[in-house]
Amino acid sequence: MTQRRSVILDLCVQAEFHTLLLLSLYLLFAGHNQPGGGFAGGLVASCAFGLRYVAGGSSALSRSISIPATTFLGVGMLFAILTGCVSLLTGHEFLESAIFSAEFMFIGKVKTSSVLFFDIGVYLVVLGMSLLLLQQLGGADGTDPDEVQP
Amino acid sequence: MFVLILAFGCVAAVLPVLASRIGRGVFYVAAAVPAAAFIWGVGAYGQISDSAPLIEQAAWVPQLGLTLGLRFDGFAFLMLSLVAGIGVLVFLYAGSYFHAEPIIGRFAATLLLFSGSMVGLVLADNLLALFLFWELTSITSYLLISIEDEKTAARSGAMQALLITGMGGLAMLGGFVLLGEAAGTYSMAELLERPPSGSVVNVALLLVLIGAFTKSAQVPFHSWLPRAMNAPTPVSSYLHSATMVTAGVYLVARFTPAFADYSVWRPLVISFGLASMLIGAYRSLRQHDLKLLLAYGTISQLGLMMLLFGVGTKESIFAGCTLLLAHGIFKAALFMLVGIIDHQSKTRDLRKLDRLGAQWPVVTATAGVVAASMAGIPPLFGFLAKEEALGALGETGFAWGVPVLIGVVIGSSLTVAYSARFVWGAFGPRPVSMIPHQGFVRNEAVGQQVPKPSKMFLAPVFVLAVLTLLFGLFPSLIDPVIARAYASLVGVRAEHHLALWHGFTQALALSAVAIGAGFALFSWRLRVEKLQDSMPQVPSAQRGYDRTVKGLLEGADAVTGFVQHGSLPIYLGVILLTMIVLPGIPLLSDGVMPDLWFADSPMQVVVGLIMIVCACAAAVARRRFAAVLLVGAVGYGMAALFVIQGAPDLAITQLLIETLGVGVFVLAFRHLPADFVRSKFRRSQGVQIAIALLAGVFVFLFTLFAIGARTEPSISGEYLDKAYSEAGGNNVVNVIVVDFRGFDTMGEIVVLAVAALGVAALVRAKRSPAEVEP
Amino acid sequence: MSFFSALIVAVLFSVGVYLLLQRTLSRIILGLALMGHSANLLLMVVGGRAGKAPIGGAFGPEDTVADPLPQALALTAIVISFGVISFLLAIAYRSWVLTQNDEVEDDVEDARIAQLGEAEMRRWWSRPR
Repeated sequence: MTQRRSVILDLCVQAEFHTLLLLSLYLLFAGHNQPGGGFAGGLVASCAFGLRYVAGGSSALSRSISIPATTFLGVGMLFAILTGCVSLLTGHEFLESAIFSAEFMFIGKVKTSSVLFFDIGVYLVVLGMSLLLLQQLGGADGTDPDEVQP
Repeated sequence: MFVLILAFGCVAAVLPVLASRIGRGVFYVAAAVPAAAFIWGVGAYGQISDSAPLIEQAAWVPQLGLTLGLRFDGFAFLMLSLVAGIGVLVFLYAGSYFHAEPIIGRFAATLLLFSGSMVGLVLADNLLALFLFWELTSITSYLLISIEDEKTAARSGAMQALLITGMGGLAMLGGFVLLGEAAGTYSMAELLERPPSGSVVNVALLLVLIGAFTKSAQVPFHSWLPRAMNAPTPVSSYLHSATMVTAGVYLVARFTPAFADYSVWRPLVISFGLASMLIGAYRSLRQHDLKLLLAYGTISQLGLMMLLFGVGTKESIFAGCTLLLAHGIFKAALFMLVGIIDHQSKTRDLRKLDRLGAQWPVVTATAGVVAASMAGIPPLFGFLAKEEALGALGETGFAWGVPVLIGVVIGSSLTVAYSARFVWGAFGPRPVSMIPHQGFVRNEAVGQQVPKPSKMFLAPVFVLAVLTLLFGLFPSLIDPVIARAYASLVGVRAEHHLALWHGFTQALALSAVAIGAGFALFSWRLRVEKLQDSMPQVPSAQRGYDRTVKGLLEGADAVTGFVQHGSLPIYLGVILLTMIVLPGIPLLSDGVMPDLWFADSPMQVVVGLIMIVCACAAAVARRRFAAVLLVGAVGYGMAALFVIQGAPDLAITQLLIETLGVGVFVLAFRHLPADFVRSKFRRSQGVQIAIALLAGVFVFLFTLFAIGARTEPSISGEYLDKAYSEAGGNNVVNVIVVDFRGFDTMGEIVVLAVAALGVAALVRAKRSPAEVEP
Repeated sequence: MSFFSALIVAVLFSVGVYLLLQRTLSRIILGLALMGHSANLLLMVVGGRAGKAPIGGAFGPEDTVADPLPQALALTAIVISFGVISFLLAIAYRSWVLTQNDEVEDDVEDARIAQLGEAEMRRWWSRPR
């Protein structure tokens, strides 16, 4: 596989990778007011890792991220559930949102909502799922001793 | 009254624990509960009058308007005193019947539960509550018959009882619901006061009667009762003679004043009752097992009670009440006697018993009294009941009165014959016996010594024997109770009174005829047995039951074999066709066509055409990756359509998902052959295409009509207004996803996480050698 | 209500059903994917007519706004069907690893049920009682 690696693709992916991750974060945070949100952001991030895989195979994928995919799943679920529980604890309905706004130096007024944390949870779950798929279905060649050659 | 019923359950709950400490003393503890119920009943009896019963009500399911009403009137007192009074005696009797068997805790508890359910049954006013207690008695009966669960016969007998009475109970529930809906009330008192009319009532009554007939073991539903005799004798004595089996009679008695004139009532009740009386008594004459002899006798007596209540004239209802009580007393005593004989001599086969009478003179005398009461011999209580019955049937004034009366006289003489046969069989000398198809055979066990039963064991029988004698000699002791029971059923005070001597009446003459004929039958018993033996075998109810169950199982098997043949495409085809046909018919008949225009924009047509072409190409593609890519193209088309529709969020998500999705498809399929395998099942392709086309047409129409079906404006207007003010977001779709419908999203990410973990597990799983197949 | 969008929904569903009825596991999965598309589109089409995106500030008071609720539902449905299809793909992969076969055979167990039931019944009835 490594012999047939395309240099152009490799370089392009390296250039794009971080841009895509940034874009995914933008979508995540803008999602409450503009098109986007946790799902879209998570999927863009997944595509970034997908590109890594396409360019360099599963080894490139594992080099690009050291946190296990299941950690993303777990932390994401935790985020989502805790957001809901916090609003329960403060005497609101499960997942009822609270709006915060604050003045920051240089940036100006920032207004956000507690459901942003919920959306972060969604983002992480989606990303974790895609990573798991890529690693499992994608890693099934060569590294797996039970792999069957057709 | 609620407390009373609950007390049964509460005490029953502690009995098994108690049994491990005090052994069979547990029965004496249990006896206290029915004793308390009896005492309560006597006390409450003083508070009621003919027209003013005691009523207690509690909200059961207030949301459904269900009220649990209990009602204590004269007839309920009659039943309660049977249930509680005989209950006390049976518990005392069981204390001697059992030794220290490990089952006694469970047994006593279940028996007490039964007792409580029976008390509930006779007190319940709400039809649904009545049904609940009715089923509880069926279930406790099932548990009690199979209490010695290592015996196959006990298990299958219990199952048969449960199946037959359960079936009847279900029918009865249907009847109750029909009646309740027709009358607008589920209170029995209100229902009987203003009985509904209409043809549906006849259907309802038929269903109720099926319930009553199965419970009271009427021909042809009687087969469970003889098989229930596999239960320990206290159970037979309590449930299967004196109380539970009279539940059906109880129901008929309650209903008959209001419903006797409905077209199904009299013909059904009278014909089933008479048939049960005659067939039961006839079958009883050829039994060798004393318990079976009594069981068939019970069927016969229940038939007579059914008949009396079914006739529904005032006199016959009065006679029915008398017989109900008389039968409870003598039949419980007789079963207890059989239990004693069985317990002491280890057999209840009359061919193996010999000269017990000489060894146990007192017991024999007691048995003679009780059996004479069953036979209707003066001056016993049973005689009074039979006199009342014959008298009432002689004055019905109906055209069928005479044939029914003749039938009852024949039945009575058979009763006399089997009563005599019982005493002779249990206690008499018997050098030879008739064995079917073998003729007369000498008895083996002649002159065996049998140990005497203890006084405690016999005491309950003595009590019952004394009662049947006392009530016979001094009818005025019991007359008020029966008169009040009668009054609470019929609604008017009884003008008639129980008496030992009514003068030279037709009933007396018929009684004499019946007794004479009965003894004649008995004295020719060998000839009668031989005659019965040579009769052609009629199909028995037992065989009918066996065939039914077998047919049911075979039918289920055939259906399973037919439905579950194992082909996935056929399963799916059936499901899809159902989906198309069932909603399709109302769709075509009731659908509303919306305003139509061709397309939202030219772009939609272009994109749509590309999608259609890609989809069709995917269907016929031979190469796997080609198909995957074509489906992917359809997905990108979806994204474009979302843009046209005004859904940017969806478009972004769809685009990204499709990209990732195609990747995952490729990853999963890369080991598979490049081409699809050509299917072996080419022939069914036409069918597949037809189903697919039908589904397409259905979905097309469905889509058109679905929009036409909208009657209310969308609730999203509210979302649009509130998105910014309440949730602080401009993107309404996102606000809905994470806030307004956040719980859905929560569920969704759980699904995603689980699916991802599932994929990991499936891919990582090692191949076990056993799973590998070439 | 646009006639053409209903047609797209119907064709996608129809092709999905056809693929679902095949015996090749990968075609069945593709069929399910198409049916998923069809269902999502149905939600949109039935939800109301096309309009401006339901984003505050992007539409004026006179504009027709697309109904956001079906969009939210469809969004959920899209992501869920991705999860489900991934899982099915893993099953197909596993089935290939185990049997080297992409065909869904007739269920041998189901075919045996009828015979077993019969034998069971015979045993039940021959039991002594």
